[in-house]
Amino acid sequence: MDFPSRFDVIVIGGGHAGTEAALAAARMGVRTLLLTHNVETLGQMSCNPAIGGIGKSHLVKEIDALGGAMAMATDQGGIQFRVLNSRKGPAVRATRAQADRLLYKAAIREMLENQPNLWIFQQACDDLIVEQDQVRGVVTQMGLQFHADSVVLTTGTFLDGLIHIGLRNHAGGRAGDPPAIALSRRLRELPLRVGRLKTGTPPRIDGRSVDFSLMTEQPGDAPTPVMSFLGSREQHPRQVSCWITHTNARTHEIIAANLDRSPMYSGVIEGVGPRYCPSIEDKIHRFADKDSHQVFLEPEGLTTHELYPNGISTSLPFDVQLDIVRSIRGMENAHIVRPGYAIEYDFFDPRDLKYSLETKVIEGLFFAGQINGTTGYEEAGAQGLLAGANAALRAKGQQAWCPRRDEAYIGVLVDDLITLGTQEPYRMFTSRAEYRLILREDNADLRLTEKGRELGLVDDRCWAAFEAKREGIERELQRLKSTWVHPHTPQGDAIGERFGSPLNREYNLLNLLARPEIDYATLIELSGAGTPDRQIAEQVEIQTKYAGYIDRQQEEIRRLRASEDTRLPENLDYSSIPGLSREIQHKLGQARPQTLGQASRIPGVTPAAISLLLIHLKKRSASGKLEQSA
Amino acid sequence: MSIVQDTIAAIATAPGRGGVGIIRVSGSQALAIARGLGGLEPTPRHAHYRDFSTGSGEVIDQGLLLFFPGPHSFTGEDVLELQGHGGPVVLDMLLQHCLELGARQARPGEFSERAFLNDKLDLAQAEAIADLIEASSEQAARNALRSLQGAFSRRVHELTESLIQLRIYVEAAIDFPEEEIDFLTDGHVLDMLDRVRDNLSTVLHEAGQGALLRNGMTVVIAGRPNAGKSSLLNALAGRETAIVTDIAGTTRDILREHIHIDGMPLHVVDTAGLRTTTDQIEQIGVERALQAIDEADRILLVVDSTAPEAIDPLALWPEFLAQRPNPERVTLIRNKADLSSESIALQSDPDGQVTINLSARSGQGLDLLRTHLKTCMGYEQTTESGFSARRRHLDALRQAASHLQHGYNQLIHSGAGELLAEDLRQAQQALGEITGTVTSDDLLGRIFSSFCIGK
Repeated sequence: MDFPSRFDVIVIGGGHAGTEAALAAARMGVRTLLLTHNVETLGQMSCNPAIGGIGKSHLVKEIDALGGAMAMATDQGGIQFRVLNSRKGPAVRATRAQADRLLYKAAIREMLENQPNLWIFQQACDDLIVEQDQVRGVVTQMGLQFHADSVVLTTGTFLDGLIHIGLRNHAGGRAGDPPAIALSRRLRELPLRVGRLKTGTPPRIDGRSVDFSLMTEQPGDAPTPVMSFLGSREQHPRQVSCWITHTNARTHEIIAANLDRSPMYSGVIEGVGPRYCPSIEDKIHRFADKDSHQVFLEPEGLTTHELYPNGISTSLPFDVQLDIVRSIRGMENAHIVRPGYAIEYDFFDPRDLKYSLETKVIEGLFFAGQINGTTGYEEAGAQGLLAGANAALRAKGQQAWCPRRDEAYIGVLVDDLITLGTQEPYRMFTSRAEYRLILREDNADLRLTEKGRELGLVDDRCWAAFEAKREGIERELQRLKSTWVHPHTPQGDAIGERFGSPLNREYNLLNLLARPEIDYATLIELSGAGTPDRQIAEQVEIQTKYAGYIDRQQEEIRRLRASEDTRLPENLDYSSIPGLSREIQHKLGQARPQTLGQASRIPGVTPAAISLLLIHLKKRSASGKLEQSA
Repeated sequence: MSIVQDTIAAIATAPGRGGVGIIRVSGSQALAIARGLGGLEPTPRHAHYRDFSTGSGEVIDQGLLLFFPGPHSFTGEDVLELQGHGGPVVLDMLLQHCLELGARQARPGEFSERAFLNDKLDLAQAEAIADLIEASSEQAARNALRSLQGAFSRRVHELTESLIQLRIYVEAAIDFPEEEIDFLTDGHVLDMLDRVRDNLSTVLHEAGQGALLRNGMTVVIAGRPNAGKSSLLNALAGRETAIVTDIAGTTRDILREHIHIDGMPLHVVDTAGLRTTTDQIEQIGVERALQAIDEADRILLVVDSTAPEAIDPLALWPEFLAQRPNPERVTLIRNKADLSSESIALQSDPDGQVTINLSARSGQGLDLLRTHLKTCMGYEQTTESGFSARRRHLDALRQAASHLQHGYNQLIHSGAGELLAEDLRQAQQALGEITGTVTSDDLLGRIFSSFCIGK
């Protein structure tokens, strides 16, 4: 039967991509349906109970700057907060939080249930309704049809999911959940390139069976960092520690002796796993000379004893898992609550997507999250928000929003995926962003909130707070610029002492702040008055300290901007462009880049090829004009 | 379609020693470069007679400076034309100075490309430009490759490799702070950075192409007695500089001659024939010859093609070649082709060893030798000459060096690893001009295969 009412956007999947997609579309005012196979698992953290980290927190803050849920849920569910790289510069600092799974999930559920324009429905999705390469809706397991012209698929690891423990395997979407087999079959009929990826988890440990006195405690930072721009420490629940222990020679012997029972080494698993998140058997096999590896015991929550031993993800058989765990210091008597496993699943080649995350072949069909070959909650959430927003824009008949590489990590993520594709689960790192000094976690709001407001993603409360912050920064910059320190005054002498030589002329406070010897706190201490707002002070300081580098990157961006803005026609026949080598024609034909800038980032495409493309485009538009006038 | 462009510069006149040489600059920096080089505010479309000088006031050349503000110019952008004296060395210095003032070297066909994109050329001409870009970019790639053969190439690749290694450590420390690999603080990175900087300055020094062009290449004529070395010197110089007789051992000391080939300065050195001798004076001559050979940029090893040794002269002299570190510096000259009836030719074997059959006495084959010597200096009669390929390389190396210096300061004075990382990225980008680009994913791949990463 047909569901009685129509929707503008249907989101399939209730993980991190699906919830951000549904929330974003609904915030933008279109009728949105979130379809999940199980309402109880909305916002579930399937892997380790942590949000953020290097590169990833940058995405979380961008989601936050666009009114998304992830950072706020983290502040409500976070039981330990740290800033990584705190001794390095602000561009590479990253906030990381351990989250209580239940609190996090509850926070997400609450936001979903209180979001106007959003309906939730529990039923697995089995089929898509597609008419003439245009999606029209979905069909659920029991044959119920929902109609909408924009559908966002966020299927995670569920598409034809296959769980491996040792040489045994069974179909599953996640431990305890069924896979989506019918939908996988259906999607494989579409003209999209499909592949298999693999990921894994470690066995979970009962904390009561662990001797923490033999491990190193890792508490959170004090004062406790917050994740959301509007978050506060007061929201945080009770804070707890993580624990660090190490594998040893005995652990490595056990693994080496049992490699033939690993589905990865016996060839049972075909999917490719992530290089940066290897299983413990992989680490020992590939880095045989390393005699110990770190293991982080992450608490799963405040109301459970379960621990997530990060660092020993494995798909070895259970008896080996038990031996491995019990060979590790402090876990000699550990009880395993849930066995570790590897999971293989379908993903679709992201090169078949547009910048909007809409598929190139089926209009109105958007993909977000692991279905695009990524890994990580943050990567999923960021894509979900973008896909949801673009699905809503499409429903409203408006142009898609496609953030560029120089605007957001979300832009880097999408551009990498759709330009280069991926051979392994794609994870964000700061080294992927060439404009790392501009794309900082601290300025995600300054980069994106205005755009988010324009799109309708940012509510009045967030917008007011943002405007106040932006004005505060401007005011403080002006004050520093117009406040002068003169030589031979008590202030001037104090500052000269800092520099190791007396001031020889007058300086404004901004000039002084640019010097490496002085930070904002010292400046205020020496000159008096300053802003009490931590975020404003931070912005003023970072902008001043990085000024030269930021200018240089801005110049680089400005230079490349034109080619980013030059669109390539979708129907361009690369084999007809004279001068392009066959190899480059093939590469361009495979990738079908949307802009000249994207074309230039395809490996092997030379500057000369870009020149030829430009000339071809110009010729096309010139002859087009001639035809029109004739 | 208007595309914001950076500023490009190139030598616009055909290579060679002409009366006038023109450098053309196009883009937003053209006016600034006019001010910098000419020290004046140019009147549009007006010929100014000026000294072209460096920032420190050193005069490079004198000539006409013309400024054409866009859009009424050849490319539609601001265009600057510097018409100076035609010598390639002077033009190269002038070009280098434009690059220092913010231009980058134009790719082949790029001026025409811009003219077309800015509606300065009609549609019919576009096809020709496409052909030009295609043909000359291939030519440029070949030239770049050619100028990259030998020791210089090895050094540049080693350098790139050590820069990548360094970046692996820096990026790993930034992206994986929890992995017990904080190289930024343990001095490891600083050591590596010092090494890369040392290597780079050595390469720059060794490349020394700028100096070679300015001061001229030193070519040593060496060989057995009576192979015709002095005849070759006289033939190249176009006058009787050396005494030529049939008596082996006539030249007992080294003779130096300064000549020009199409405006390229060459120091040609004639040496005593290499042989074991009891004659004390001749012995000293042989020693001096060997010393001159070691100092040479290029050695012309002359053999008498009528002599029995001529069948395989390189095999005949393994001890000579074994003592010389760079066999690629040697060109084999099979002289007296008029007597041995060998055909006048230049052959290049797969190892890059060049052999020229000629006759110094009759002058046959001398043109081949002259062209070959020009090639050795990185100077060719093509659209995108090896000359400019080398200019590009040197420019890239210098840019890389300046980024490394900047990054070094950041690390030393502020301990700012992320700023060092940015400077290293820029340095790599500069070197990418020579060695091809390294993507962030390449870098991550190297990190994962170098360190055991991941929780």
